[in-house]
Amino acid sequence: MSIDADTIRHLSEVSVSVELQTEDMTLNIGPQHPSTHGVLRLVARVDGERAFDVQPVIGYMHRGYEKLAEVRTYPQITTIVNRIDWVAGYANEIPFITAAEKIMELEVPPRAQYIRLILTEMARICSHLVFMASYPLELGAASPLFFALRERERVLDLLEGVTGGRFHPNFNRIGGVKPAYGSGSMTRKWVQDLPAGFYRDTRAAMDRVLEVCDELDNLVAGNEIILARTKGVGVIPVDVAASYGLSGPNLRASGVPFDLRKMEHYLPYDELDWNVVTGTNGDCYDRWWCRLQEIRESAKMIQQAIDQVPEGPIQAKVPKVIKVPKGETYVRAENPKGEMGYYLVTDGGNGPYRVKIRSASFSNLSILPWALEGALIPDIIAIMGSLDFVLGDVDR
Amino acid sequence: MTSNQSDVTSEQAETTTVHPLQEFADSVAAAVGGEAEITFDTVKVHVPAERWVEALTTARDDLGFGYFSFLSAIEWTNDPAVGYPLTDEVEERIEVICTVGDVFEGRRVTFSTDLPVDSPTIASLVDVYAGANWHEREAHEMFGIHFEGHPNLIHLYLPEGFTGNPLRKSFPLLSREVKPWPGDVDVEAMPTEGGDAAADEPSTENPEA
Amino acid sequence: MELLTDLMSNFWIALVLKLLVVALIIPLIGMVIGFAEMKLSAKMQARVGPYFAGGRWGWAQLIADGVKFFQKEDLIPRDADRPVFKVAPIVVMAGTVALFVVIPWGPGVIFRDLDIGIFYALAISSLTTVGVLMAGWASGNKYSLIGGLRAAGQLIAYELPLVFSAVAVVIMAGTMSMQGIVEAQVSAGYPFVLLQLVGFVVFMIAALAELSRIPFDLPIAESELVMGYLTEYSGFRFLFFFLAEFANMFSMSAIAVTLFLGGWHLPGIPADVLEFAGPLILIGKSFLLVFAMIWFRWTFPRVRQDQLQSLAWKWLIPISLANVILTGVFKVVL
Repeated sequence: MSIDADTIRHLSEVSVSVELQTEDMTLNIGPQHPSTHGVLRLVARVDGERAFDVQPVIGYMHRGYEKLAEVRTYPQITTIVNRIDWVAGYANEIPFITAAEKIMELEVPPRAQYIRLILTEMARICSHLVFMASYPLELGAASPLFFALRERERVLDLLEGVTGGRFHPNFNRIGGVKPAYGSGSMTRKWVQDLPAGFYRDTRAAMDRVLEVCDELDNLVAGNEIILARTKGVGVIPVDVAASYGLSGPNLRASGVPFDLRKMEHYLPYDELDWNVVTGTNGDCYDRWWCRLQEIRESAKMIQQAIDQVPEGPIQAKVPKVIKVPKGETYVRAENPKGEMGYYLVTDGGNGPYRVKIRSASFSNLSILPWALEGALIPDIIAIMGSLDFVLGDVDR
Repeated sequence: MTSNQSDVTSEQAETTTVHPLQEFADSVAAAVGGEAEITFDTVKVHVPAERWVEALTTARDDLGFGYFSFLSAIEWTNDPAVGYPLTDEVEERIEVICTVGDVFEGRRVTFSTDLPVDSPTIASLVDVYAGANWHEREAHEMFGIHFEGHPNLIHLYLPEGFTGNPLRKSFPLLSREVKPWPGDVDVEAMPTEGGDAAADEPSTENPEA
Repeated sequence: MELLTDLMSNFWIALVLKLLVVALIIPLIGMVIGFAEMKLSAKMQARVGPYFAGGRWGWAQLIADGVKFFQKEDLIPRDADRPVFKVAPIVVMAGTVALFVVIPWGPGVIFRDLDIGIFYALAISSLTTVGVLMAGWASGNKYSLIGGLRAAGQLIAYELPLVFSAVAVVIMAGTMSMQGIVEAQVSAGYPFVLLQLVGFVVFMIAALAELSRIPFDLPIAESELVMGYLTEYSGFRFLFFFLAEFANMFSMSAIAVTLFLGGWHLPGIPADVLEFAGPLILIGKSFLLVFAMIWFRWTFPRVRQDQLQSLAWKWLIPISLANVILTGVFKVVL
């Protein structure tokens, strides 16, 4: 009996149709799951280890800050914007304060601007170190967590020394930064913004941060398994990333130098010597690498900035009761997570008429259904973790 | 095309000088057929609601604004149930705002369009910018805007059975109904110009120096 | 000594004594390794680790943990397959205990020197995976199910390199008896690892996978599957799995030591001392391997399922197979 091409095709079709009939399973990941950073929930259709139709469900931490901002006065709003991205609370204040100052047409004294810059970059280092800690953990390596968090603690101590708050500094005032009276001294009455020994401690802490970057580089990037788990996984091309509104290191890892610190000039970043870090492939490894390099850049920035902090006032002259005149503006800033912006609509009152909070993690997370289509379950965790989101920043 | 904050704030005081973004704003407005306005360094282009998708498609394809920043809305009303009322009478409407930009030079434009307060409806941007999906769902539940052509227009933050649109100015904030916000009560009168400010003049000498 | 020999000659008394030893030694070894893991991981992560329990160094931490587990409520999920759910930890523990039967502690100190000792050891060690699969299936939890199936897939892939690398040793020793393998190394004058380095490395990698230790802890994978097949277990059932894991680490290491590192033998120690020192030497050598396992665990991340499978099928199995052939050829030629 001779077998012709048709028979072979027929046989192959038969063998396909009698393939083992499998049933898809709906897997519910979260809201309580070790790798969902709090209360994110994913509903996925799973075929073996492969996931399809991944739908993120958010809102478990929605606190309605946009509505609350409408009934608060301007100084009160800085306390609630602190709590949006709590890993880098300080950085959230900057765009809001800048927006109000822009409408009030205030000139912020250079010393205050430098203090803001130093603290923002410290917040960035803290946020990225949390990522450095949690990401290897999601891939199964527990030890980098302790190396990264130990250095974060030093930086948080510095932040606390200046602002009085570890996570929610609430240090910015419209027109400048908060003056601290006495600075530990009961007798001297001068106003001090930076505590005694701040420059020395900061220099030491930044040296340690740069050291721990090298350690993490060896520990994580020098590990074959980490490379196998992250290289080529979760590749996001630039055009897709941009149309979903990805920003920050997630977008830069795809190879675009989109850094609002260079583009929006909201703080004196131009006076410092630093580089925008970009990746090449846009995969999980590049996102990790970009953040590591950004810690280094931020540490260098702080080292330069503390040499350049000018003397002078820390507050512009503002009335005791802040009233922002009529106007509307959108101010965005480069948060550790990406573009954070406030669309502020004011009308001369004690509080704003409307505040639209554009948070980075919200847009970063919205790419998940696209990025996770057909991914393996371990890759879901790897891709999700590499986007570095904070649920408070997603749900606001 | 980016603006320098310190330069611009000083220039804005004089209305006669041309804003550095004016040329850019005009070119965008001409390309999409809208009206440009610059408010505090934010280029805002107003387009009619029926040309919303067309305008943003032009922005993406011809102007190179591939980066989707956000989409939201503002409800303009004369008698808000919560929050600070407006000083001037406005035309009651819901203004949809959408900011897009490019990722290479950092240019950005906020597009806006007006919708009626009752049953606001507009075409969805999901086919133009994939990221609009979640932002439109948020605007849908918060303002009650219906986005035609949206693939999955369900609640994003709020639970399924939630009724009402929380960010509408008519939606009461119940805790404020019970008790007014204390911070609003003890607002003091404005101090006189140059009063006791000189007494508190802060010294910022560096103790390490 | 005479009394002991008399007692041991009575079958029933000997059985009870042996049972007591097993009942003591397995939890004891489990606790020592568990404590070592706590302290070593703390050292590797710039932490202190357990500190207060027991007064010094927190030595009583695991006893406190054990007491805590026994106080917990015995939870069984509503959708669980109750009998299987209850039996699974016992099956896992049974596999662990049964493995201790053929470990040669010293010359003449072995529970039962089976002729097919290594064959029995490799066969019975898979029983643990059956228990894991039972636990995963019976929990009525999707994460547990995925974890259990991952364990089964892992077992199928890594049993082969494990067996092949053991076969090479059997060829060299010419016997499958565990005591026979040790004695072959004693009479040869060198541990087999010198000639079977490849086999030893493959054996250890496959043993790590069999034990589902990092980097092969996919059945548990707490960042992906919450806790894998253990998700629904709590209280003393969880303790059973916990102890079985640590005891298994020891017994796998002991088998590796017997096959490759000369078992209870250490050159230069007279035979009459070995009678007593044998168990200590075996435990010492095994703890070296256990230390390596703990070290890997706190250094490496987890591999992915496809990487795990391709490592087994594309690398370990061909390498160990070639190793068997080479060993056979050398044995015949020499």
